Amino acid sequence: MTALVAVSGHLPEHRLPIEEPGQRLGLDPMHLKVFRRYHKLDRVGRDPHGDLPALLRGALAGLDALRGQERRVRYVLHARAFPVVVPYPMRPAREVAEEFGLGHAACLTVSHHACASGLLALDLAGRLLAEDGDPDALALVLAGEKVFTGETELVPETSFYGEGAAACLVRADGERDRLLAYAADLRGEFDGDGVDLAPEYQRGYADCLAGAVRAAVGRAGLRIGEIALILPHNVNVPAWQRVCRRLGFPLERVVLENLAASGHVFCADHFLNYRTACERGLLRPGDRYVMAAAGGSAGGVFSAMVFQH
Amino acid sequence: MTQPDELYPSLVETTCALLPAFLGRELPGLSADSELMDALGMTSTAALELILRLELTLGQEVDVDAIDEADFATVGSLARYIAANLLKAA
Repeated sequence: MTALVAVSGHLPEHRLPIEEPGQRLGLDPMHLKVFRRYHKLDRVGRDPHGDLPALLRGALAGLDALRGQERRVRYVLHARAFPVVVPYPMRPAREVAEEFGLGHAACLTVSHHACASGLLALDLAGRLLAEDGDPDALALVLAGEKVFTGETELVPETSFYGEGAAACLVRADGERDRLLAYAADLRGEFDGDGVDLAPEYQRGYADCLAGAVRAAVGRAGLRIGEIALILPHNVNVPAWQRVCRRLGFPLERVVLENLAASGHVFCADHFLNYRTACERGLLRPGDRYVMAAAGGSAGGVFSAMVFQH
Repeated sequence: MTQPDELYPSLVETTCALLPAFLGRELPGLSADSELMDALGMTSTAALELILRLELTLGQEVDVDAIDEADFATVGSLARYIAANLLKAA
């Protein structure tokens, strides 16, 4: 079964209070107050002098498990919330792959599930390696984006995007951290330009995401009570309060402490939250945990993965 | 201390009074049964903003930790939630 070998993360030092992008985008002061007071957002990361390769480079620099193992990497997958993240003809994942001795690897972009593309990339990485049949082969999943356009600054009514990146080494089979199950619920009914769709998506969000978590946990042969932690995509606290109520899962076991200081870091949230969980000793060997995310552009995707630490 | 049942009618009235300005359009016939999301097209985030504006009017904060979509269903359900979750004076 697909296994995570190592995870690293990188966040820029510079932070902006959410009022700065919010005012620039013309948000009403009361709307910003909702984000701060209820959604528990505070600041977002920005690297004013670095480009996307710089962010990805920062994550790779911390991936110690890659050193000396470069030749084993067959695939580099860049998980993106947005399909276009740099001007043509820049190829940020290819650029950093070559810098880190991975120029021989096939380089792919995965963006079809929007902010849930990180989980899709993990699944795809494992399947590609399993198909190749080399037990020693590895794949590298990268996540992270720059706030490149106005669309990438704000998740309307929901959150602010923050810059940052993560890197994850994957193998086709292994004991730790082993992927036990994956569930992705694709909701085409939320795709379109109709003004009614955004409220419909918001209304269905908690049920759909809780449903994906329940499906993944069920496929792993577990009950929700056996899950130690949820590593979320960092949208806002009220969204996770609602999901937890539907799951009967304590909010205290959702790793949300990066939300206030960093915002929603595109597809990298789970990996950054994984690092936080490990650094805080929240995961013991054998613990089962969930990575969960929703993607909201061009339809709705609600995804969850169950791992054993 | 005022009980939630006693607060409910005035909260419905205050909410109905705020809604036209909040949504920027005339809303004839507002009542406790008026559906905030289905009929008036509000999102849960807009409903939270409405709660903020109600707090300013009431001079009291509302604890929203337990709020759910069902509480945003109608003017009456929102008023009921607020009545039961008022905190200290803002």
